[in-house]
Amino acid sequence: MTALATDRVPSDAQIHIGAVGKIFARRGRTTEALRDVHLDIREGEFVSLLGPSGCGKSTLLRLIGGLAEPDEGAITIEGFEPRRARALKMFGLVPQAPALLPWHTVAKNVRFLTDVHSRGNGPAVLDDAGIDSLLATVGLSAFTHSLPHELSGGMQQRVSLVRAFALGAPILLMDEPFAALDEITRADMRYLLLDLWQRTGATVVFVTHSVAEAVILSDRVVVMAPRPGRVVTIEEISLPRPRTPDMEDAPEFHAHVQRLRADLRSSHS
Amino acid sequence: MTARGVMRLIAPIVGVVGFLALWQLYVVLWDVPAFKLPRPTTIIDHLRSDPGFYVRNARTTLWEAFLGFAVAFAIALVLAIFMAHSRFLDQAIQPIAVLIQVTPIVAYAPVVVIWRGFGLQSIVVITAFVCFVPFLLNGVRGLRSVDANLLELAQSVNATRREILMRLRLPSALPYLFAAARIAVGLALIGAVLGEFFGSNSGLGYAIKVAQARPNLRMQLWGSIYVLAFMGAATMLLIGVLERVALRWHSSERT
Repeated sequence: MTALATDRVPSDAQIHIGAVGKIFARRGRTTEALRDVHLDIREGEFVSLLGPSGCGKSTLLRLIGGLAEPDEGAITIEGFEPRRARALKMFGLVPQAPALLPWHTVAKNVRFLTDVHSRGNGPAVLDDAGIDSLLATVGLSAFTHSLPHELSGGMQQRVSLVRAFALGAPILLMDEPFAALDEITRADMRYLLLDLWQRTGATVVFVTHSVAEAVILSDRVVVMAPRPGRVVTIEEISLPRPRTPDMEDAPEFHAHVQRLRADLRSSHS
Repeated sequence: MTARGVMRLIAPIVGVVGFLALWQLYVVLWDVPAFKLPRPTTIIDHLRSDPGFYVRNARTTLWEAFLGFAVAFAIALVLAIFMAHSRFLDQAIQPIAVLIQVTPIVAYAPVVVIWRGFGLQSIVVITAFVCFVPFLLNGVRGLRSVDANLLELAQSVNATRREILMRLRLPSALPYLFAAARIAVGLALIGAVLGEFFGSNSGLGYAIKVAQARPNLRMQLWGSIYVLAFMGAATMLLIGVLERVALRWHSSERT
């Protein structure tokens, strides 16, 4: 555990998480959601938080995004407190469910994050042409005037992705965005996401419980364990960029998957 | 129009006409005296004999019902917005809403007339009272029905309370408010008619009150009932149309 504190603290870290702890108290019972978490994330990096439910990965994501406060330690985003970074619209959030406004068309839904608190929009916010191009990339050009209920689950989640990217935010926070999708749709979504990410160069913090998903997407995978929620190990993924579907058959990919599975198992016992 | 659409249009008409036909048949076959239960055709003939009287009184009653409905909606929505944001206000006001709902309106209508005086004001207050509770309770529930993921999404870009209200809470509450409006339409007519019993000398409620005591005006009783039923059905239909247009996005509008 103590070794993690010195694991790697690159000076150019964009997101700095130092000795963070979080405790939930409910009806007199307390749960240690996170204990002594150290993590530094570089600008433009794709980092996955991998672990079983209850390991605090979603909590950590919410702490980074300034949607909750840590009880111990501190988090800084380019030197700002998370709440300040939130007010500066530095985060594009992709929640678990697509969470689209059912009364708005796709075209208006992808504008939701930029329209709200619009004075806070950063310089990188996308114009209409930029958003149209993103919609084309994810194959939704023909659906801009559709209502969410007219779309499939996969299409809805693609709208949610475009909405986050439209903000032009330097950091994207994704909370198991593909968890509700079927396996085949899910596999496609990974490469769509990588496509979008490579165009923007944003930092991505991606919460998942799928080992394969974490490996194929990430530069680094942070393995977490529950009771108390903590970081067990951090795995550097050596697959080259851009990632392609055939890499999922490469021995390197399987070596990563095996190692991560072993890490997950050992943290359980 | 699809076969299903045609059926949707025709089935209710068949139902209503069938009901009136059974009524007519019952009166004719069992030879029921007209002062007990007149034939529907007789009632309709009576309405045609003096349409001016019914149009005049229907207008009065409809206007009172509309005012009470609108006042109730406006006050309830404002209160609901406060209650949706404050658990304390919610818990403090809920029991008052329950009290208003469980106290029979007939019991306190005379007091309202003493308070606001004979005439329109009293009737609007009585009508607003009966319509108020469905709007309030549904409003609070609707404003609170926003998807938690959407709320968090709005927070992630520092949305203000006002923005969350305008962009998320109010649109989410719309289906709930329409459901309340459907209930309130019927209640508004009850309120207006009842208000006229106690505090007016015009309107269909007054026409009923007058006719009740005079055997020679018995047909006026039935005429008023028919006009009230027609008015209720027509406003319900209007709300249905508005709902279909406004809630095109909502799951309840999908077949």
